[in-house]
Amino acid sequence: MSTLDIGGSHLDTSWFLVLSAILFTLGTVGVLIRRNPLVILISIELMLNAANLALVTFSRQLQNIDGQLFALMSMTVAAAEAVVGLAILVDIFRTRDAEDVDDLSELRG
Amino acid sequence: MSNQTLALLILVFPAAGALLLAGRGWRLPRIFTVLVGPGVVWASFVCVLALFAGKASGDFTYWTWIKSGSFDVPFNILIDNLSIFMCLVITGVGGLIVSYSVGYMEHEDDPSYGRFFCYMDVFIFSMLLLVLAGNFVFLIVGWALVGLSSYLLIGFWYQRHSAVVAARKAFVMNVIGDVGMILGTFVLFTQYHAVTYAKVFDALPCANGRSCIGGDQTLELAAFLLLIGAVAKSAQLPLHTWLPDAMEGPTPVSALIHAATMVTAGVYLVGRTHPIFDLAPYAHGAVAIIGAVTALFAATIAIVQVDIKRVLAYSTMSQIGYMFLAVGIGAYSAGFFHLLSHAFFKALLFLAAGNIIHAMHDEQDMRKYGGLWNQMRPTSIAFLVGSLSLVGVIPFVGFFSKEQILGLAFARGDLLSGSVWVIGALTALLTGFYTGRMWWLAFWGKPSPQRPVEHPHEAPPVMLVPVAILAVLAAVGGLLETRALGFGTSAVTDFLASVVGPQRWEESLPVVAIGLVTMILATALFYGAMRIRPWSSRVPWAQRLLERKYYFDDIYDGVFVRPLDRVAAFLQRDIEQPVIDAAVVDTGYLARWSAAELSLTQSGYFRNYVLVFVVGVVAIAGVLLLVRALT
Repeated sequence: MSTLDIGGSHLDTSWFLVLSAILFTLGTVGVLIRRNPLVILISIELMLNAANLALVTFSRQLQNIDGQLFALMSMTVAAAEAVVGLAILVDIFRTRDAEDVDDLSELRG
Repeated sequence: MSNQTLALLILVFPAAGALLLAGRGWRLPRIFTVLVGPGVVWASFVCVLALFAGKASGDFTYWTWIKSGSFDVPFNILIDNLSIFMCLVITGVGGLIVSYSVGYMEHEDDPSYGRFFCYMDVFIFSMLLLVLAGNFVFLIVGWALVGLSSYLLIGFWYQRHSAVVAARKAFVMNVIGDVGMILGTFVLFTQYHAVTYAKVFDALPCANGRSCIGGDQTLELAAFLLLIGAVAKSAQLPLHTWLPDAMEGPTPVSALIHAATMVTAGVYLVGRTHPIFDLAPYAHGAVAIIGAVTALFAATIAIVQVDIKRVLAYSTMSQIGYMFLAVGIGAYSAGFFHLLSHAFFKALLFLAAGNIIHAMHDEQDMRKYGGLWNQMRPTSIAFLVGSLSLVGVIPFVGFFSKEQILGLAFARGDLLSGSVWVIGALTALLTGFYTGRMWWLAFWGKPSPQRPVEHPHEAPPVMLVPVAILAVLAAVGGLLETRALGFGTSAVTDFLASVVGPQRWEESLPVVAIGLVTMILATALFYGAMRIRPWSSRVPWAQRLLERKYYFDDIYDGVFVRPLDRVAAFLQRDIEQPVIDAAVVDTGYLARWSAAELSLTQSGYFRNYVLVFVVGVVAIAGVLLLVRALT
């Protein structure tokens, strides 16, 4: 069992990973069960950040900077995605009163 | 202008005329059609006259059409006395007929009027290509084009069901002949590796003074195959059934098909390929027998016909039979002289009949005419000249040509020519009878009470002038060939001698006397037809046999048409609909059904897509972990 040195105190790596898994699951469940588009976007951010946490954890664990760089990259993508997603949402709210993603089902087959 | 250019121009004029009229020519004033339609034919006629006057001859090659190994097809035009002779008939008589159509077709609306002259020019072009071609391939091209243009013209009034059926029948019959021609050419090519007349005839066993024996199997085969083509195009037994039905076309078309073009193509073919037929005695004999039998056969049917154009149609078959008889026994120039004389008097008869039909508002039943002599005198006189010429009354052109054929057949004196002479003489008598019946029925007596027009009008000058010219030709054309009677010239025989050889035997005085007696008897029958009724009306079964045209149509119907219809119906009902159609339709249903089912997965709900996505990721991860755990 390996540990990480965080500001002098030592914590077991698995704690970070468990936290990451919990956050990811919360995000997934949020995307699946919430209906407000804004909350869904937030849940997606949560999933991304859970992944970032796992990346950084392994980077530290393996003494390899790649993971942290990838986390940075992922944050950039998340920011861009939030911009596009929010822009779409704003546009949808302008044209109609859609508080429920189930109302946005025009592409039904 | 060089002869080479002139020869090509003969073909270019009618082709250009047809193309001009095929476009939107009819939108121009009608005078344009009137000038272009007959004008191009006369332009060709002038070119032919120039070649004729210049005593031109030669084999002009213009370009190579197909070259593939030893298969070398040039586009060459063969100008010799035979092709010039044919071209004179086609463009001369054809020009008169096309000019006549200007008046006959005047009631058509503008698009039909332009279409008619376009087809007529195509017809003249095809026929000219047929006789000018210097090789078998272009002969076949012209041959097939003649079939096509006859199809277009017979079916000219395509709103009439009967016209469409007749056109289709003519086309199918002609295609049977085309197949024979093509196969014959194949045989010649495999044997001699050439398709031009010059090379093929040079390679024949007896050419260039080589000694030879007759009875070459391959040549017999080739000659028989070519004969199939000739028989179909010239409406001889047993491929004759299209010709009477072809009367569905406008009358000038009938005149063109029967007199100047088309049906004479078979006679031309036998004359053109006579080096082959001379070496194939069986095929050559078959030509004579087919001709003689057809002549008699058609003449008997003509006795009971009541439609004036059908009588003329059967008389055409009969006269073409004479030409076949002549070329079949080797009297080529006599056959071609009869072709010329027939072109004169049959064109005359058809055009004069056209005047009557025009005046009678398209009524063609002779029994409903009667008494036209006093009301349409010029046309009646012209028709009388044509009839007397057809019968062979002295001194009309038909007498000289028919007497020559019969005389030469009699003079040759072997079994074959003796028997065809008997049939030919019998036919000459029948010709007198049925022509007389037609004449007295239509022109003499009192007007029939069923006549559609009480006081018919004589045709306008544009229709009378061609008729008058043809009447003069039919009356005095015999002067071209009078040597058998001991005076005058034999212009046609001398002219054609360079191609088909000189007359191989001469008529003696007794033979001429027999011919004279035959023709005088025919004339007597022509006169007597006014009083005697045909014996067939006293023998009901014979009457019925003739009226049903010896059941040929019924037999073809029963043997070919109806079984084919039944097979087609079976295929449609039991193969096409339940198997092929069902397969196609069911493929469509499958696509529609699967699309309907699969579209249910596209709910449009965001959460569904995410759920599928998550489940998928989890499943893939699970499988990967499982695989890793197991290995």
